[in-house]
Amino acid sequence: CMVSGEGWSRRNAEAAQERDAHANSSSPVIAAFKVFQQELDTRHDKYERLIKISRDVTIESKRSIFLLHRVTNIPDTEGVLNEAESKLDGVRQKIGQIAEELRGEDIYQFHRAFTPGIQEYVEAVTFLHYIRHRSLISLEEINARLVFMKTDNADPKDSAEAPPSSAPVLTFQVTPADYLLGVADLTGELMRLCIGSVGNGDIDTPFQLSQFLRQIHDGFSYIGNTGPYEVSKKLHTLRQSLGKVEDACYTLRVRGSEIPKHMLADVFCTRTTHMDAEEGVV
Amino acid sequence: MNKREGEGWSRRNAEAAQERDAHANSSSPVIAAFKVFQQELDTRHDKYERLIKISRDVTIESKRSIFLLHRVTNIPDTEGVLNEAESKLDGVRQKIGQIAEELRGEDIYQFHRAFTPGIQEYVEAVTFLHYIRHRSLISLEEINARLVFMKTDNDSAEAPPSSAPVLTFQVTPADYLLGVADLTGELMRLCIGSVGNGDIDTPFQLSQFLRQIHDGFSYIGNTGPYEVSKKLHTLRQSLGKVEDACYTLRVRGSEIPKHMLADVFCTRTTHMDAEEGVV
Repeated sequence: CMVSGEGWSRRNAEAAQERDAHANSSSPVIAAFKVFQQELDTRHDKYERLIKISRDVTIESKRSIFLLHRVTNIPDTEGVLNEAESKLDGVRQKIGQIAEELRGEDIYQFHRAFTPGIQEYVEAVTFLHYIRHRSLISLEEINARLVFMKTDNADPKDSAEAPPSSAPVLTFQVTPADYLLGVADLTGELMRLCIGSVGNGDIDTPFQLSQFLRQIHDGFSYIGNTGPYEVSKKLHTLRQSLGKVEDACYTLRVRGSEIPKHMLADVFCTRTTHMDAEEGVV
Repeated sequence: MNKREGEGWSRRNAEAAQERDAHANSSSPVIAAFKVFQQELDTRHDKYERLIKISRDVTIESKRSIFLLHRVTNIPDTEGVLNEAESKLDGVRQKIGQIAEELRGEDIYQFHRAFTPGIQEYVEAVTFLHYIRHRSLISLEEINARLVFMKTDNDSAEAPPSSAPVLTFQVTPADYLLGVADLTGELMRLCIGSVGNGDIDTPFQLSQFLRQIHDGFSYIGNTGPYEVSKKLHTLRQSLGKVEDACYTLRVRGSEIPKHMLADVFCTRTTHMDAEEGVV
C-alpha cells in the first residue's frame, strides 16, 4: 500500500508541475488541446447548421406534399403541379446549401443531421413524379437533379473561399438508405391520395394505386430485415396502408359499381344503407 | 326507413357536389376563409420554427459559456475567464433580444415550448457566473433586469411608430426554477473539480448552498411544474455527491497534503495508516 501511495504522490507532484506549466498556457499539451477545441467547435457548428437547413428542407417538402394532395379536388391539376415543382426547386436550393457545407467532409459523419430532410424531399419528389407519370422515380433520376453549378456571379466571398482547384460542379448524392425510407413514407401519402380520390368519385385511381403499392410492398419484403432498421418499422406501416387501399378497392368493386359517383363517399361511411339496391351484385 | 335515409343522404351528397363545383371556382367565401386560415397557420408555424432555431443557438452558446466557467478551478487568472464568459453571455442576450422581437405582440405561452430549453440553459449559465463571482444566487428580478433591449435608431424604419422603444423579455418563474435546478448539477461538478485542485473551502460553501436550494425545492414539492419533480431527484444525487466530498475532506483529509487530495478520492484505503488520531 505504501509503495502505491508513493507512486501516486510522485505522479501527483508531476501533475502539479504540469498544472503550473498549464497556467502559463504555453505548453505543447495546451496548444494541442486548443487545436482540438477549435476542431470540435467547428464540427459541432457545422452539424448544427446542417440540422437547421434540414429542418427547412423538411418543412418545405411537407408543404409541397400537402399542396400535391389537392390534385384530387380540383380540375386544374397542371397549376398545382407547377406550383409544387417550383416549391421543390426551392428545396433543391436548400439541398445545395447542404452540399456546400459537406464539401470536403465525410458525409456519413453528418448523415444523421440531414437525413430527415432528405427523406422528406425524396417523399415529395416521388409523390410528384407518381402523380404526373404513375410510376416510381429512380434514385439515379433524383440524384441527376441534385447537381449544383457554381455560378460566376456568386458572392465574391464564395469564390475567395473556394480553393481554385475545387470543381465548379457540386453534387449531392442521396444514399440508397434514404431513398428507401423516403419511398416507404411515400406509401402513406399514396394511401391518403387513394382515399381522397375515392371521395371525389375517381374509381380508377384506387386500383392503380393498389397495384403500385403491392409492388412496392413486395420490393420491401425482398429486403426483409437486411436493410437499415428503420425499414422494418416502415414495412409495418406500409402493410397497413396497403390494407386500407385494398379495402377501398374491395368496397368499390363489390359494392360500388351501381352507386352513382356523388354517393360514393357515402358508401364508405354507411355500408349497410344500400343493401336493398345490390341484388344481383356478385 | 332505410330508403328514406338513403334519400336523405343522396340529397345531402347532391348539395355537397354542387358546393364542390363552386369550390372548384375558388371564389366562394368558404375557400377565401380557408385561405386566410392557411396564411395564419403558416405564419404561426414559421414563427415557431424561427424561435426553435434561435433557442438552439441560445442553448449552444450558454452551454459553451458554462464549459468555459468550469475552468476557473484550474487557473489562477479567474478574472479573464469571467470576463470572457460575460461577453459570451452578452452575445446570448442579443439572441434573446431576437426572441423578444419575434414575440412582440404575441401570446408568449403559445410559443413557450419553443424557447424554454434555451432560456433554461441561459438561466443556468447566468446563475453559475453570478455564483462564482458573488457566492450567492442571482434573483429572477436581476436576471430580467438585464434582459431589456433598447431599440436603436437605425431600426426605426422597420418598427411601427406606435411601438415602444424598449423591449423586455421576462423569464417565467418556472423557467427560472428549472434553470436553478440545472445549476445544481454544475455546482456539483465545480465542487469535485475544485477538490481535485486542492481547494478545501469551496466544497463546504457549496454544500451549504446546495442544501439551501434543496430545501427550497422541497418546499415546492410537487406543486410546481412536473419537470421540477424529476430535477429534484437529480438535485438530491448532486447534493449527496457534494456532501460525500465534504465528508471525505473533513474525516480523512485534514492531514493529507494538497497535492495528494485527488488521490484520496480515488484510493481511500491507501492512507489508513496515516490517520491515527483523526476523529
